[in-house]
Amino acid sequence: MTAAAVQEPITGLLDAATVLAVADDVWTSLVGDGEVLVPLPLPAPAETVSAWVQITGPWCGAVVVSCAEATAEALTGCLLRARPPAVLEPEDVEDALGELANVLGGNVKAVLPGPSALGLPQAGPNPPAARPGDLCRVDAQWRGQFLTITVQGATGAPHAERTR
Amino acid sequence: MKILVTDDSRVMRQIVIRTLRQAGYDDHEIIQAADGREALQLVGSEQPDLVLSDWNMPEMSGIECLQALRASGSQIPFGFVTSEGSPEMREKAASAGALFLIAKPFTEETFRDALDGVLA
Repeated sequence: MTAAAVQEPITGLLDAATVLAVADDVWTSLVGDGEVLVPLPLPAPAETVSAWVQITGPWCGAVVVSCAEATAEALTGCLLRARPPAVLEPEDVEDALGELANVLGGNVKAVLPGPSALGLPQAGPNPPAARPGDLCRVDAQWRGQFLTITVQGATGAPHAERTR
Repeated sequence: MKILVTDDSRVMRQIVIRTLRQAGYDDHEIIQAADGREALQLVGSEQPDLVLSDWNMPEMSGIECLQALRASGSQIPFGFVTSEGSPEMREKAASAGALFLIAKPFTEETFRDALDGVLA
């Protein structure tokens, strides 16, 4: 019987500076010129919304973007360049946050071991559970508001300490 | 010319269309599809001159759409605009007959570099 492939914790594959560099490119291109993520943590708001994409391959996990609903709406307005700010449909906000997760996920996938596949973006209040300690998170602010980007190993993936 | 923009994200379709305009391609007619299957139908009914397509989509992916077009004999110019730009995906896209692959995030310059030879 051959041993199952063991998934290295994300912290051995990726650091927060790399995730932030990817996010900087995404923010400049999609959110707008001069729009930046400031890597300074803020307390999480009482309720957050998230969007995520799954990566499946030698490394299995998800890339998750979380922020307050109002922040997600403001991001949507920026992506759509809505001037003056338009009334946004909830589907547009999910769609926009999902696309941010999708583009972040595609670029994170590029620096992880491959070949791997990227899933379709999903959105909601409850992203997939992170395996404790197996995550790389950028705690940031956008326009002074809480926003996190988390690259996290899948809870079901075979990990080193499980198979030892 | 008529350009078919295909992406399951309405927001991303708007971003692609805006970037086309900013890159100077503002005198082309734009039509939209939400997945590969709809794109395939619109290529038949609307006869666009170029397809710009996402890769990962429900119903039918961009690469499946391209393969179906080529299998049916269509040689319509086809390019990807996708969140993944690995060498493997670029090779797969080129092998299937795509002219280019624009990776997200993109800029107006990226669009001009890819499209000038196609839309000139």
